[in-house]
Amino acid sequence: MIASRENWLQKRPTLGLGLGAALLVVAPNAYALDVEVTSDDAAQFYDVRSPTGETVLSRRRLLGTLGVSAYDLLDAPPGDPRAPNLSLRARLRYDADYGASGATVDPASYDSFVPGFSRGPVDLMYAYVEGRRFLKGWLGFRLGRQYVTDALGWWSFDGAEASLTTPYFAKLEAYGGFEQRGGLPVSTPRFERDGIWRGNRSTYDPTVRDLYPSFQPASVAPAYGVALESTGVTWIHGRLTYRRVYNTGASNVTEFASALYAPAQYNGWRISSERIGYAVDANWPEVGGAKGGIVYDVYLGQVTQAYASLDAYVGTRVTLSADYDYYVPSFDADSIWNFFAAEPMNDVGLRANVDISKRLTVAGGGHARIFDVQTSAFDPGVALASYSPSPNYNPAATYFPTNGHPLDGGGNLSARWAKGATTLGLRGAGDFGQEGDRTGADVSGEHVFETRYVLGGRAGVWQWDDRIRADRATTSFNYVATVGYLFAPRSKARVEWEHDINSLVGQRFRIMFWFSVAVTK
Amino acid sequence: MTRIFTLLILASAALLIASGAFAEAPAGVHGLAPMPEDRKVPLKWLPPGAFDPDSGPSDGIFPAQRITLRFNHARHVNKTVGATCKTCHAAAYRSTSAADHLVPDGTVCDACHSTDHTDAAHVKPGDDENGQCVYCHLGYKQGDGNAVSELQLPRANLLFSHKAHGGRNIGCPQCHGAVEALELATRDQLPRMRGCFHCHQMPDPASRGDAHSACDTCHLRGDRTREGSEGPTTNDTVLRGTVIRTMFASGTLSPPRWLHNAEHTPDFISRHKWVAADDSAFCANCHKEDFCTDCHDGRVRPRTIHPNDYLNMHAIEARMATQRCSSCHREQSFCLECHMRVGVAEASPPSARDSGRFHPPKSIWSDPPRKPGNHAYEAERNLGACVSCHTERDCVVCHGARGVGGGFDPHKNGFVGGCATQFRRNPRPCFVCHEARGSDTMLAKCR
Repeated sequence: MIASRENWLQKRPTLGLGLGAALLVVAPNAYALDVEVTSDDAAQFYDVRSPTGETVLSRRRLLGTLGVSAYDLLDAPPGDPRAPNLSLRARLRYDADYGASGATVDPASYDSFVPGFSRGPVDLMYAYVEGRRFLKGWLGFRLGRQYVTDALGWWSFDGAEASLTTPYFAKLEAYGGFEQRGGLPVSTPRFERDGIWRGNRSTYDPTVRDLYPSFQPASVAPAYGVALESTGVTWIHGRLTYRRVYNTGASNVTEFASALYAPAQYNGWRISSERIGYAVDANWPEVGGAKGGIVYDVYLGQVTQAYASLDAYVGTRVTLSADYDYYVPSFDADSIWNFFAAEPMNDVGLRANVDISKRLTVAGGGHARIFDVQTSAFDPGVALASYSPSPNYNPAATYFPTNGHPLDGGGNLSARWAKGATTLGLRGAGDFGQEGDRTGADVSGEHVFETRYVLGGRAGVWQWDDRIRADRATTSFNYVATVGYLFAPRSKARVEWEHDINSLVGQRFRIMFWFSVAVTK
Repeated sequence: MTRIFTLLILASAALLIASGAFAEAPAGVHGLAPMPEDRKVPLKWLPPGAFDPDSGPSDGIFPAQRITLRFNHARHVNKTVGATCKTCHAAAYRSTSAADHLVPDGTVCDACHSTDHTDAAHVKPGDDENGQCVYCHLGYKQGDGNAVSELQLPRANLLFSHKAHGGRNIGCPQCHGAVEALELATRDQLPRMRGCFHCHQMPDPASRGDAHSACDTCHLRGDRTREGSEGPTTNDTVLRGTVIRTMFASGTLSPPRWLHNAEHTPDFISRHKWVAADDSAFCANCHKEDFCTDCHDGRVRPRTIHPNDYLNMHAIEARMATQRCSSCHREQSFCLECHMRVGVAEASPPSARDSGRFHPPKSIWSDPPRKPGNHAYEAERNLGACVSCHTERDCVVCHGARGVGGGFDPHKNGFVGGCATQFRRNPRPCFVCHEARGSDTMLAKCR
């Protein structure tokens, strides 16, 4: 059973940061400390129907965030951007779905229970102290929950990061701590590697535990990384990055309660992910630019991502680009899916961007996505004389397509026009392939009257044709109407009305309320 | 006779004017535009970093000006008059702030134009034509009480010290181009950021005199100001926060295409990943984490990415991999959890499951021969789509080795050749399908 003991902060989602914010706001004004408290809230109401036609979920969602920032904790002299700088930033989030029934989170309600689901999870998105330009610009650091963004993707951890910037156009960075993992206090699974269904099941009683063996217990994940990047010069930049994350604690390996084979659990330190990435961009203002990147998965021993993009500047208003993207699905090292025959995708594309005027810009292009599939019969690579023959060797199953490169294609067109307080946008796309087609376009616009009254709208028609499930094809019309009021700098209230019309949902409505406040001292 | 004489005089005058004999005449002929006859300023005379054709400096950094003076730099900066930049703009050599007013007072003109601007309320014109108010002040009218139109030169939204640059022996043309060759100097002679980068290429710890490339070396920090929302007015004390200020009444700052290839085009949303992957610190100069998390860890659907009835459209887009779902969503939590609740996942609770079948009929989906539409083909093609709905258990039922599951081998060809490394570093996934202590020869090959 899930015990009644919940995380202290989960019970009091905003109290911790609220207290911190209050302390900062009422702190003695000894120097020019800048404090900022922000709150963003969104409430939305809509229904979801199962794609198989019957289930309907009522979503009654409330998202609330509370952020606190304090800048210039060292009271640097104004006007000197080279002075050491210390700041603090934190943000707490509460994301509730009041439409879910209590049974959904009650393990005793086997009929309705969804392991890992929480009706009102609270997570600390980030909370760190950051120092910049210490030791005459050589040293920077961050302490706390923070993000790292580079060729290895978006990642979050609790720990410390230090960077050494040298005058020799190179910067060395090292960090270590614990990866942010779902199921741990005030954490979200968003930043851990995919392929493992993981969460807090420490409070399940044994009978429940046996029912959901795929739902793995969450444990701390020690991690560290280093990066070397160029700095200073603006026409070229590269970053080489390495990161290793460990899984710890027990993991269920027997998927069936009646399993005869051991071990039922595997326990111990083991690799979760180990990857090396490199990304670079270079530019020649009169000619063009180039970007490229690659990710090598050390655990799998293969390149899992690579990309390259070339831009050619044709005059001052036209940019032509050729893009290439390579991607192979890869997962946490605990996941069985790393060893499934997942094949790479290759994307090639051409696009153009035209700055027609200072107000109007249009971009568009086309692309082809080449999937790979296996074309030859199974061959494990070694003689397995004593191995029980796989049913795959059944003659009827050994048929493979001769074309191992099924192809999808498509294109997109987007435009933006802006003048004063008015913006207009267009976004259209068409994608066509073996799985089906998807074509459509949206137009959107927003105007701010008298610097405070916001009127906006969006309308679009999209058509999709699902080749695998023909009954899911439809043409859908949608419009959104928005009114808002900017009652203070960076503070606004907004209401949105959304209406979808198509043969799958009939008519569906969605109402959203937004409220954002920023208070500064 | 008198009329004929008058006509002859007028005709002669017209011919003389047409022939250019009065090109040096005062009114309306020069000093009203950078080049005579409003010709285009040659690229070589524009500030370094300008392009051809040039679109001028940034609106956000250098707000529009209202120049109500007529002035010809070329006529002043020459051997005859002998003026230099410093003659009129001496204050620039002492200026440490972009808020300083560096256009000379009228008193600077008095010595040559025989005017007297000592008392701005009672300016005395000179005797000559070039000493008259209307000679320089556009739109001046006698009888308006000595009033002239206001010259509006808003401060640049920058941190800038002319004194520091002058101290480094950086001459005026290195930022402003060949102003001495022009008649009227307009906003177009204000610096281009690309020109700044001719020098500003040094990292933070470089010596103090070096030109650093960090954005906040020149750009104002703080996404708000103490003074109000309209931006700084008289000083540079608005240096709060960790991002630079990008919104100004005169315009919004956005990277040019030649800076990290990061022009924010209408399709930038699908291309920004390459900029962020290479240099996320560059993005962080303008964007706080919140800006990124709104989508990448978002809980409210961004319509610019997921349009229309995306709840119903997303399945086909996920299978086509039009967008990489895992850029923002973790399949085994975000996707799986919702799929379980809505009853589409195999691990869904019984009350959520319904009678419908999500996948195509068994004859296509799982029976041989494999072909488009068969689950093996679909998994090879885009495994992420499977992972967004299925748990390990769903796959192990058939793909577990004999004795654990159905024995259908899901591995790639040649898999055994490289599996020992993975087994040594994390054997956990192997034990899910293979008997750890039994006679599984496949597992033995990987030990």
